[in-house]
Amino acid sequence: MNCEWREKTGLYVDGELEPAAQQAFAGHLQACSDCSAAVLEQQELKKAVRLAGKRFSAPPELYANVRKQMRPRAGAGMWWKLGSVAAGLVIIAALGISWFSRSSGRNATIAQLVDQHVAMTATNNLDVVSGNQHTVKPWYQGKVPFTFNVPNLAADSPFKLIGGKLVYVEQKPGAELVYQAGLHKISVFIFQAGDHASRQPAWNHDSSFSVSSWTAGGRQCYLVTDASQDEAGQLVTLFQEANRS
Amino acid sequence: MAATVVTRGDVSGLDNKDFEKLAVPLLDGLYNFACWLSGDPDEARDLVQETFLKSLRGFASFREGTNFRAWMFRILRNTFLTSRTGLERRNTRQEDEEGFEDSAVTQETPELALIRRADTELVQAAIAQLAPAFQEVILLADMEEMKYQEIADALDIPIGTVMSRLARARRQVRGHIVTVLGEKKIAGAKR
Repeated sequence: MNCEWREKTGLYVDGELEPAAQQAFAGHLQACSDCSAAVLEQQELKKAVRLAGKRFSAPPELYANVRKQMRPRAGAGMWWKLGSVAAGLVIIAALGISWFSRSSGRNATIAQLVDQHVAMTATNNLDVVSGNQHTVKPWYQGKVPFTFNVPNLAADSPFKLIGGKLVYVEQKPGAELVYQAGLHKISVFIFQAGDHASRQPAWNHDSSFSVSSWTAGGRQCYLVTDASQDEAGQLVTLFQEANRS
Repeated sequence: MAATVVTRGDVSGLDNKDFEKLAVPLLDGLYNFACWLSGDPDEARDLVQETFLKSLRGFASFREGTNFRAWMFRILRNTFLTSRTGLERRNTRQEDEEGFEDSAVTQETPELALIRRADTELVQAAIAQLAPAFQEVILLADMEEMKYQEIADALDIPIGTVMSRLARARRQVRGHIVTVLGEKKIAGAKR
């Protein structure tokens, strides 16, 4: 291949050519199949590296530590002047703000997960379509930075595995496993947790969907569905049992 | 992410809050880069914390017109290079770069189908086998989507070196993918 433009494909793909040259190159691609094949290949490679390179997510405690570093505590003397009553008020306010920010952060995550569930039910767009847990689980290998077990469902189980999706919520990769329960769909989301603490399922009914969140074995799990809490609760239990370490 | 260039207007009266606003969005990318550099999440955590401490202290001397993201990555990388792992890496792996041979696979044979078939794990392995000097350039260019000049600022190397390292890094990654998947294809055909 002796095309004089050929050596500029990297610059073009990286958007490093001057605007006029970038435009001229785009025009050239219409006529030159060799260069357009090379550009396509480089774009694919760039995309593959971008996806594979984003391998590690900063743990929440690192954010907390860094924020702490940036906000040095106020001088101790000031607190003496404020007196005990004022200090008490400040503490109550701080607790309130901390509760509010934690809870609004949590609500934002839940809102994103509900959106994700609704989008999935509307489009039925799954990355892996299978009712076999031995097909669905290995599909996530290398795609999410953690492992998990998919419950083994009894033949008469009210739940039926449909498949799974790779999702990104707050820039973190996670697994969305989709189940059918009668006419309802259930999404179970699994992400890497910030710590190894265990938290029992807590239900949220802020939206018209039932959302349960629990943490176990370093995994943060959520269940989102329009099925009843009693019914969905059984699936939460199955997941807890399958992932008991 | 677009380059964050702090202009004169921004610099006047910059305080911790401004720093936080500029720096915290970079934390995840810095941590990911630190993990690739050090190969150890705990060390990466320490590196990021040290980077934030150093950059916060140095923020007062931060010069207008400087690219903030490149400046942060530069501090992180310099912190790493002076750490124990960084020093070991410089001593033991520098030769890799000097004696680095290009893959026999050239860009003249498009292997688009193979690249599309490559899963994340294979691409990660391809990035991991790169010599550090090539690895950091390709990660900053493709993952952080930095411009060549920004990479040159972050790594403190000439822009021409950025371009040549990037081209070689890509040839290596591509070569690794094509070799592994090509061998699988041949093995499959023999069976």
